[in-house]
Amino acid sequence: MVKVLLGKQFAEIFRSYLYDAKKNKARSKLSTTLYFVFFAVLLVGVIGGMFTFLSITMCSPLSTAGMGWLYFAIMGILAILFGAFGSVFNTFSGLYLAKDNDLLLSMPIPVPVIMTSRLLGVYLMGLMYSSMVALPAVIVYLAVCRFSFATLVCGILFVFLISIIDLELSCVLGWVVAKISQKLKNKSFITVILSLAFFGLYYFFCFKAQTVITDLIMNVSTYGMAVKGKAYPVYLFGMMGEGDWIATLICYAVFGALFTLMWVVISRSFIKIVTTNTGSKTKGTKASFEGRSVQAALFSKELARFTSSANYMLNCGFGTLFIVVAFVAILLKGGTLASMISQMFGSTGAALIILLGGICCIACMNDMATPSISLEGRSIWILQSLPVSPYMVLAAKLKVQIVLTLVPVVLCLFAIAATVPCNAIQFILGGAFAMLNVNLMALFGIFLGLKMPNLTWTSELIPIKQSFSVMIALIGGFLFNAAFVGLYFLVGRKVGEVIYLCLAILVTAVLGFVLNSWLKNKGSRIFAEL
Amino acid sequence: MKLLFGGNMLNIQHLTKTYGEKKAVDDLSLHIAPGEIYGFIGHNGAGKTTTLKSVVGILRFDSGSITIDGTSIQDDPISCKSKIAYIPDNPDLYEFMTGLKYLNFIADVFKVSKEDREVRIKKYADIFELSNDLTQPIASYSHGMKQKLAIIAAWIHNPKLIIMDEPFVGLDPKAAHLLKGMMREVCDNGGAIFFSTHVLEVAEKLCDKVAIIKAGKLIRSGTMEEVKGDDSLEDVFLELEEENN
Repeated sequence: MVKVLLGKQFAEIFRSYLYDAKKNKARSKLSTTLYFVFFAVLLVGVIGGMFTFLSITMCSPLSTAGMGWLYFAIMGILAILFGAFGSVFNTFSGLYLAKDNDLLLSMPIPVPVIMTSRLLGVYLMGLMYSSMVALPAVIVYLAVCRFSFATLVCGILFVFLISIIDLELSCVLGWVVAKISQKLKNKSFITVILSLAFFGLYYFFCFKAQTVITDLIMNVSTYGMAVKGKAYPVYLFGMMGEGDWIATLICYAVFGALFTLMWVVISRSFIKIVTTNTGSKTKGTKASFEGRSVQAALFSKELARFTSSANYMLNCGFGTLFIVVAFVAILLKGGTLASMISQMFGSTGAALIILLGGICCIACMNDMATPSISLEGRSIWILQSLPVSPYMVLAAKLKVQIVLTLVPVVLCLFAIAATVPCNAIQFILGGAFAMLNVNLMALFGIFLGLKMPNLTWTSELIPIKQSFSVMIALIGGFLFNAAFVGLYFLVGRKVGEVIYLCLAILVTAVLGFVLNSWLKNKGSRIFAEL
Repeated sequence: MKLLFGGNMLNIQHLTKTYGEKKAVDDLSLHIAPGEIYGFIGHNGAGKTTTLKSVVGILRFDSGSITIDGTSIQDDPISCKSKIAYIPDNPDLYEFMTGLKYLNFIADVFKVSKEDREVRIKKYADIFELSNDLTQPIASYSHGMKQKLAIIAAWIHNPKLIIMDEPFVGLDPKAAHLLKGMMREVCDNGGAIFFSTHVLEVAEKLCDKVAIIKAGKLIRSGTMEEVKGDDSLEDVFLELEEENN
């Protein structure tokens, strides 16, 4: 039974890899294989490669100093954080908000089986992410330092223990969010604030990681003894990787007990939380019958959809927050950064281009337009039957992304003007490029959303987080802006910043025009026929 | 009353729609005059929903034509859609909105004035005993409440033609009775209703005309008297089903 339910869940997650919505049939084996290869290359090649490099940097010095356990403790904690990043926000939606919970509960399926299948999905997502850190750490240790039966087996057990810890963390946060959701109004915003606090801590740790690691390698014995003396469980955790059977046994016993406790807590509240109506009744507000224009009504509807879901805001609106952070950072350190870049490349224009590219890259993290088509789900008939053109509907979806991205981007542009040496023409051109870039990314996102729609999801996380279109939108945006910066160093410096920015504006405007024309014609037809 | 109104509110000519190899609707023609309640009956998968969705402009069809109040749905879908209202078989509404926000959204799109929407929302919400729930999120509504909200949304812009797919499913007997009265009121004011149903007793009592569809083909249509004669609609429907097997 668990296998059947898990199969259903994975078929849903990887639906766009297996099924071609446009042709309404299953993809060919070759096409599916290529999609999976692309996914694997991205995860293993890019992210796994990054952590392999980190492992190589740390493994040998720490192991030689007799602190191999510290190496595993650090890499293990990094893996736990990275795995939690990948799975922690899945639990609430995946476990408690799945649309087919009522259906499954009405069938002769024991509740623990439903929970197991849901949690296995969360577990495998955490395992996938944490393995990209933990697996290179173990492999590098086995290759560079010590290979034995004990280090091999305990290393594998180390990787699995990390994934279990991630599951426990995800379940605890998911359960807390579910409990909050039962009681509070504006729960989406509260969830976002809680999650942002978690992210804040996470990024603070990542930001400090390089300094901490360097300091650690320099003073390995001092820190090693301190951790061993004051945080013995961390020492035991690290010893697992070094092939210590007793440490492995103790860690599994402790986290096994914690898992059992977590299971009992979740099982006791599962049915109650799932069967509590998600749209819990609130105190009635005064009725308002004020009218708005059609465009304003459509925009307002899209904005309401965005702000109604913590998942949507967190996964697709992160860029807004980051651009504001970038604005503050540029105001405080923009001048220093600009002079550093100018010295490094011997040109003042490079600072402007790199900062513009950086801001546009951050802006790409806003991709709310991409899943907005799929999120219409089964209520798409409303927009299709109303007397509005499909393009008006699509324009409202675009507008949400553009407004939420453009406002902080403009703030950043003024911060650049105040701190980075550039003349008025360069600033105007840079600003025009950034604005057209935001417009292009929104158009690209909705193009992908129309090309790969999924209206039959049972959890909104599937279109928001796990869809191929969202991944392409993010990567495509990053690559476009990386090319903008890269091409500057290849050709832009020769022609000068003004001409280079003019060319970049031209390319961005033409691409935007082409996508907008597509949206008005073919895209509108696709939407009308979904 | 219907005799007071002339012309065609809905005219379907030779409508054909296929899904792959299967003809869901096959050369279907019918017309509805203002003032008529037109029932559409057939077994599951007969092609009722496909026909209704084609009329509403949600589904593109392969051949034939559909005109609403003289305007082709293919040539001018926006104009056609502004004259009609549609209630699907399953009221999947925007769960992230409150009932009132949803009604205001629909009223905004149909450009209903503040005064008119206030009067209509209050009137129909009172009729369906939904007034106290309008400020609650739709996610907290029962199936029947969502169905009632979908009905109020359909009536909010005073449409000329109302298309409904199984409108009585999920409604309590009182709400079903009220809906029948509202349907008759629309027709008395020169509008028209085209709806599908499996409840043959309702169709028999309520409809001026009826069409029976089987495997995408219209097998009988006309006034209730023409279709059923002295028999019950149920007997005629079952007999036609047998004949065409």
